[in-house]
Parts: sequence; C-alpha cells; structure tokens
Amino acid sequence: MIDARDLTLAYGSNIVLRDVSMRLSDGELLAIIGPNGAGKSTLLRALGGMHAPLHGSIAVNGKAVSQMNPQERARRLALIEVDTAPVTNLTVREAVAQGRLPHRPWWRWNELPEDEAIIDEALERAQLADRSERSLDALSSGERQRVWVALALAQRAPSLLFDEPTTHLDLGHAMHILSLLRDLADEGTTVVIVLHDLNVAAAHADRIALVGQSTLLACDVPERVFQEELLSAAYGAPIIVRREEGMTLAFARPPRRKGDPR
Amino acid sequence: MTRLAVIAVALCLLVAAIIVGASWGTISFSPATIVSALLHPHAQNDASIVLWSLRLPRVAIAALVGAALATAGLLMQDLLGNPLIDPYLTGTSAGAALAIAVAIAFGVPPALYSAIALCASLATTLLVAALSRTGTGLSVERMIVAGIALSSLFAGLTTLVILWSPSASVSLSILAWLGGSLAGHGWRDLGWATLYAACGLGLALTTIPALNALRLGTRRAQALGVDLDRTRWIVVVSACMLTSAAVSVSGVIGFVGLMVPHIVRGAVGHDVRWSLAAALPVGAIVLILADTFARSAMPPTEIPLGILLSLLGVPAFLYLASRRPKTA
Repeated sequence: MIDARDLTLAYGSNIVLRDVSMRLSDGELLAIIGPNGAGKSTLLRALGGMHAPLHGSIAVNGKAVSQMNPQERARRLALIEVDTAPVTNLTVREAVAQGRLPHRPWWRWNELPEDEAIIDEALERAQLADRSERSLDALSSGERQRVWVALALAQRAPSLLFDEPTTHLDLGHAMHILSLLRDLADEGTTVVIVLHDLNVAAAHADRIALVGQSTLLACDVPERVFQEELLSAAYGAPIIVRREEGMTLAFARPPRRKGDPR
Repeated sequence: MTRLAVIAVALCLLVAAIIVGASWGTISFSPATIVSALLHPHAQNDASIVLWSLRLPRVAIAALVGAALATAGLLMQDLLGNPLIDPYLTGTSAGAALAIAVAIAFGVPPALYSAIALCASLATTLLVAALSRTGTGLSVERMIVAGIALSSLFAGLTTLVILWSPSASVSLSILAWLGGSLAGHGWRDLGWATLYAACGLGLALTTIPALNALRLGTRRAQALGVDLDRTRWIVVVSACMLTSAAVSVSGVIGFVGLMVPHIVRGAVGHDVRWSLAAALPVGAIVLILADTFARSAMPPTEIPLGILLSLLGVPAFLYLASRRPKTA
C-alpha cells in the first residue's frame, strides 16, 4: 500500500505539482495520465522514492519512504524509468539478476540457489527464458522492455512503478506487457504506470490519476475521470468521450477541414 | 575458455613472470641457482644477495604497481562508464610529480620521496574531489574537468621547476622520476605501499555489487538500491589509494591503468567480479615483464619504465582497439 499526502514536487524553485494526495491499495493498477510536461514521471519517481518531495510525505505500508535506506526502498518499490542510456555488454540474464541486488548483503557477490530460481521464474514470465544468454544490444525495443519487467519481477517488491511501459511497442507487444502488469496486480502487487494513450489506460487500470495544471485533477475509476470538460481542460484541446460496449473511449476532436459539412 | 580458466592461466603466467623477473638482469643466473638462492635467503653468495636484496623486492614492487594501477583504472572506468578513463585522471600523478620535482630541487633526501609522492597524490585527488562536490555527491563531469585542469596546471609548474632548477643534474633527476622507474626501492618501501594499496583494494571490494548494477545505467542502479553518492566516494578514494601507492614507488607509469582493463574485459567479460580478479594478476604480469625488459635490454643503461610502456603499449593497444571495437 502506498500513501501519498499533500505532495509538492519541484525541481529547484520550479514547482511541478502541488497538493497531490493519493492512496493506493494492494493489488490495484493505477495509470497516471496527463499532457507532456505535466509531471507524470516526476510523480512516479516521487512515489518510487527517487524524487524527494518539497512538502508532504509518502509511506509504503505505514513506513515513510524518506526513512528507508536505498536498499530497503528497493525491496519495497520496484521503479522502471524511461532511460535512454544505452546498455551494452550485458546478457539478458545478467541484467535480470541485478534485480536480486536489494536482497543481498554487500559482502555477498553471487546469487544463492533461491535467487537463481527467482531469476528463472522472472525470465519465464516475461517470455525471455529462451533469450537469457543474448546480449541486450541484440534485442528489439519490445524485448528490452520485457527485460526491465523481468528485472522488476526479480526484485520481488510489493509495489511496481513503470514509466511508459508501452512506448515504442506495437499493439501485440504492448498488450502482452499490459496483461502481465494486470496479472501482477491481480496477484496483489500494487502497480502504477504512466501512459500516454488514454484508452489503453481506461481499458487496463482500476483507477486513473489525471495530472495537469500543476496538480492532480482527478484520481478515480476511468468512467468518472473521462469527462469531456475535465480532459479538454487538462490537455488544452477538445476531447470527445464515448461509451460503447462497456468501454469508455476518449478521442481528440479532429480540426474541421475545408469542405466539411457545418 | 571459461572465466575461471582464464584466471587460472593468468596466475600461472604470473608465477612464470616472477621467475623470469628474478632470473633475468645484468647478471643472469641459471634456474638451478635461482631455486637454490630462493631456498637459502641468508646464504652469502652472489645469487642470494642479488636475488633477495635487489631483484625480488623489485619484482614484488613491479607486481604491486601493475596490479594497483590496473585495478584503479578498472574501477574508475566502471564507475564512470567510460573505457577511456585513466587512473591518473584525477590528477594523482601530476600532483605527485610536482611535489617530487620541488623536493628534488630543494635537495630533500631520496628516502622521503615515496612518502612525499603518496601525500601529494592523495592531496591532489582530494582537492579534485572537493572541486567536484555537489551537495553530498560527486559530479563526474566536474571531476574530469577539475582533474584535467589541475593536471595541466601541475604539469606546467613541474616544467617550470625543471627549467629553473639549480643544476643540470637536478633536472635530470626530476626527469628520471617522471619517466617512471622501479630502481632504488627496497622491501621497506614495498611494505608501506602494499599496506596502502591493500586498504584501497579492500575498500574497492565493497563496491563490486554496486559497480555491476551501474552497468545498467545510473538511474536503474539507483532504483535497485545503489547509493550512488556513497559508491562514487568509495571508488574515487580507493582508486586514489591504489594509484598513490603505485606512484609512491614507481613515479609516473602510464598506460597500464588504461590498457589492462581492456585486455581483461576482452578475456573475461564486463562482470566486475571477474574483471577485477583478472586485472590484479594481468597488471602484475605486464609490469614485471616490462620492468625486466627495461633493466636487462641495454645493460648497464635502464630504459625508463614509463617511457618503455608507452612505446610498447601504445601500438599494442591501438592494435587491440582496432581488432575489437565492440569491447572498447
């Protein structure tokens, strides 16, 4: 369970988000949406304990994240950020094995047999078992995203936070990652993801946090967050909401073309 | 070949290099004489005296300097994720060189050179670290800039000391030290340098899991619980201790710290647990063999070790780099 209260997040004197409060239960999948630069990734980093809030507090199962040492934090929160730094000279298995780092004392350099079993299971779930000895540079974007998921799985943290898990992925690979995250939530993991696609967020998340205008505009089930006025104000563009066959869908209203009927 | 086999081969080659280093020199001894002298350290014959008071301390110092510089280079390269980093980057050698040049110019007894070099190199690194501080952490970019800037400043001042030195012999002494040499050191110097290098190595060992996680990038490593600031401080201090220990007994010997990490990564891969284990014997082998060649190729003249390593090492390194672009 993650409990964030009255957060103000800033870079230096530049305040990105203020008055953000949210409580996430075990087994919940929350999607953070909002326009570019609204502070989605900053909020995710803060919830993951990697960005200290200017004001407010974040607690995981009752313990303040600011009171945790880095290793303890990594045992409770697995954070996967968008990192464009190239990772080379590492096999898939070597990368995933790093997920056991928070569980090892500094003087133990090798994985124990139980660590190996956890790594094998993580590779299996991320469908990477047959590619475990491949170098990371030889993988496609989709496979690389799965490596980071496997790394987080090997971390065995009760909360998983993932920034843009479906970026650069085709529909099939995106669906695979999202259903894996859904399964994890159903098994009791608290999952927080940042998404750009509103409809994907509505289809997979239990709740949606909409950030914009330097604050948390809404944090509720998709049906309540998907209000035309609310979304249009957040994105600064006209957005239409339709409810069809049990799904809530949002679209940007296309601009009028010359010759369109009035 | 498995990584364990590579390390085993490196250890066998180290033993062979030690035997070669002990046997070769201005006076050559047969292997039987060497074995006999090794077994009778207090025998008053030529072989025992030459071996125990001249060659073995020198071989041991070469092994220490090679292992220390290779380890320091490997640590700094892995910390900064840059294979072109040299352990002298933080100004370690330039600070020591200036201090020794001043000491020679002022006629300080040679027995104090090791201690002076040690203190000066440590002080320079700490100065570079202080200039690179950001809150509680270290900025890598600032460290590189500060290291290069201070190195240039100290190199300029060293040249000035040489130009203004009272006599040509003083200038030559300074230049000889700058060229790097293992001559004139005994067991006593080795004791201090070993102690200092061992502390550096001990510190470095505590950072191995963090350095391996850093191969995923700093952000991912931090998310995995790596305390980046702490790791940076420990690695910089341990690399500085290792380099200072080497500089104090050898002067400026370049290239080992840059080249050996490349060689070992080519053989055992990038996992720091294995590359560090391989860097220690490989660094020692390179320097023992280079020093043996430097003192026995043109007797009685000794080729300055630092210069010899540059002359042999640069072409070898360029060849390796062009053959294996992906490991660079």
